[in-house]
Amino acid sequence: MLSLIKIEWLKIKKYPAFWWMLGIVALTYPSINLMFLKVYEDITKGKETGAIAKMFLGNPYAFPETWHTVAFFSSFFIVLPAILVIMLVTNEYNYRTHRQNIIDGWDRKEFITSKLCDVLIVTAIITLSYSIVAIGYGSYTDSKNFYRWSEQLQYIPLFFLQTFAQLSIAFLLGYLIKKAFIALGIFLFHYLILENIAVSWFKYQVKNDIGKFFPFEVSDRLIPVPAFIGNFGQDMKAGYQKALDAIPMHVGLTLAITAIIWIICYRVHSKRDL
Amino acid sequence: MQPVLSIQGISKKYGSIQALNNVSFDVPQGCVFGILGPNGSGKTTMLSIILDILQANSGNYAWFGKPGSPETRKQIGSLLETPNFYHYLSAVDNLNITKAISGRGDAADIDRVLEIVKLSARKKSKFKTYSLGMKQRLAIGAALLGNPEVLVFDEPTNGLDPVGIAEIRELIKQLAREGKTIIMASHLLDEVEKVCTHVAILKKGTLLTAGKVDEVLANEDIVEVSATDTAKLKLVLEGFKGYSHVKQDGKLFELYFPLGTARMEDLNRYCFEQGIILNQLLLKKKSLETKFFELTND
Repeated sequence: MLSLIKIEWLKIKKYPAFWWMLGIVALTYPSINLMFLKVYEDITKGKETGAIAKMFLGNPYAFPETWHTVAFFSSFFIVLPAILVIMLVTNEYNYRTHRQNIIDGWDRKEFITSKLCDVLIVTAIITLSYSIVAIGYGSYTDSKNFYRWSEQLQYIPLFFLQTFAQLSIAFLLGYLIKKAFIALGIFLFHYLILENIAVSWFKYQVKNDIGKFFPFEVSDRLIPVPAFIGNFGQDMKAGYQKALDAIPMHVGLTLAITAIIWIICYRVHSKRDL
Repeated sequence: MQPVLSIQGISKKYGSIQALNNVSFDVPQGCVFGILGPNGSGKTTMLSIILDILQANSGNYAWFGKPGSPETRKQIGSLLETPNFYHYLSAVDNLNITKAISGRGDAADIDRVLEIVKLSARKKSKFKTYSLGMKQRLAIGAALLGNPEVLVFDEPTNGLDPVGIAEIRELIKQLAREGKTIIMASHLLDEVEKVCTHVAILKKGTLLTAGKVDEVLANEDIVEVSATDTAKLKLVLEGFKGYSHVKQDGKLFELYFPLGTARMEDLNRYCFEQGIILNQLLLKKKSLETKFFELTND
């Protein structure tokens, strides 16, 4: 495994798109959260209305809520690392190195494992970026609460799992379709449009929450909306609590779907002509 | 001696197209084995199967007496179809990946093979900036990494200029002199004839013949004769016994004898006694090109 990671690092350390993606993530994650922080600060700056707003919202960027809030808003940008993951696998087809790696002595399973390492490396980097941003905002917005940094740390592994699961879907598309633009188009269409419409349609038209089993929705629900949503009335509170209670089930479902995705990749790669 | 590669009854279909049909042959150790065939005959399919890029529908193969595996592939330097490298990496970075995957060679060896394929001056340039010939050279360099005992080359002179072709041909001869086993697919008959000791000829996925080049080519003795008086020579030759047929090309006659039966002295004496003085008398081998067209033409 370590030797596979070393070889993948040889491939990606000089890949310009990798560093571009890191740079964009390094800008995007703080920026999106800064935007919501500014909205929060605007709402809470008035003397009387601010106090009421603070009572309802708390401080979503103070420890320990920062882990949750930053994870929620940062997860909107899964498309950035997804582009990279799709490029990393489709490049192998473009350069025909998926054949050369086997010719040079890799087992077919090792090739897929090496790509699994890629997805894990990207996921780890994204999770690290998220963690740094969460710590930064937690420290900046309310340093008095810093002593609560170790609460709600579960959002780090949840963010990791959500990112890994959704990047695995991106990988599957890139792996099966082989063409970067088509795979990315399908990924974006499904992630941004199709699944959202389908989930909402089932929820509000059919009155059925079957959408929670859809590929992205399963892992989206690992990180529910930030906690302040639960402060707006009994229904919202009940809904928020229900979302929190469902997290363990979604962990299980996400692990199962992600495992199926990788099993498909291993099976297909062991049988198909390269 | 155990063959380096043994292929037994390999068949491969692409949909309804039979790309390979029950092909079997052995590649002896230390030979230069040419796989010949027209375009679409199954040469690359065959090499792809023995390198685990394609999966055969039936049959099996063994490298060094063992079923094909990653471990056996690591011992073989291979160039299959096209040079396959990461476009954004330099020659050295790409060879480092080849080295890491195959376990063949080291940093000094990378410099050695780049020197052999004359890419030292451009070793830090990105692969995407290379010409077609340079890409092909790098692929040959990658195959040479770690000085493997067995090399597989699919159309090794593709994209090279005449000087490059001559250099690669010389390199292959040099490797053969060092005792390496080289398996080479090509449709360039001249190339194969110049460097190969063994040959297999494929047509539409079927193996037509395989064996030592001399044995494959020499199933007849061909004797070339000519004289100043062509008309008289023709008459005289009609009276000579032993050959199966004769072909005339201008002043030159080719007499085809069963293998090993042409007796040059007898023919010379006979012509002289009949008043014909030959100005050419030559026993020649059939060219690979002639044999190839004989076998592959319907």
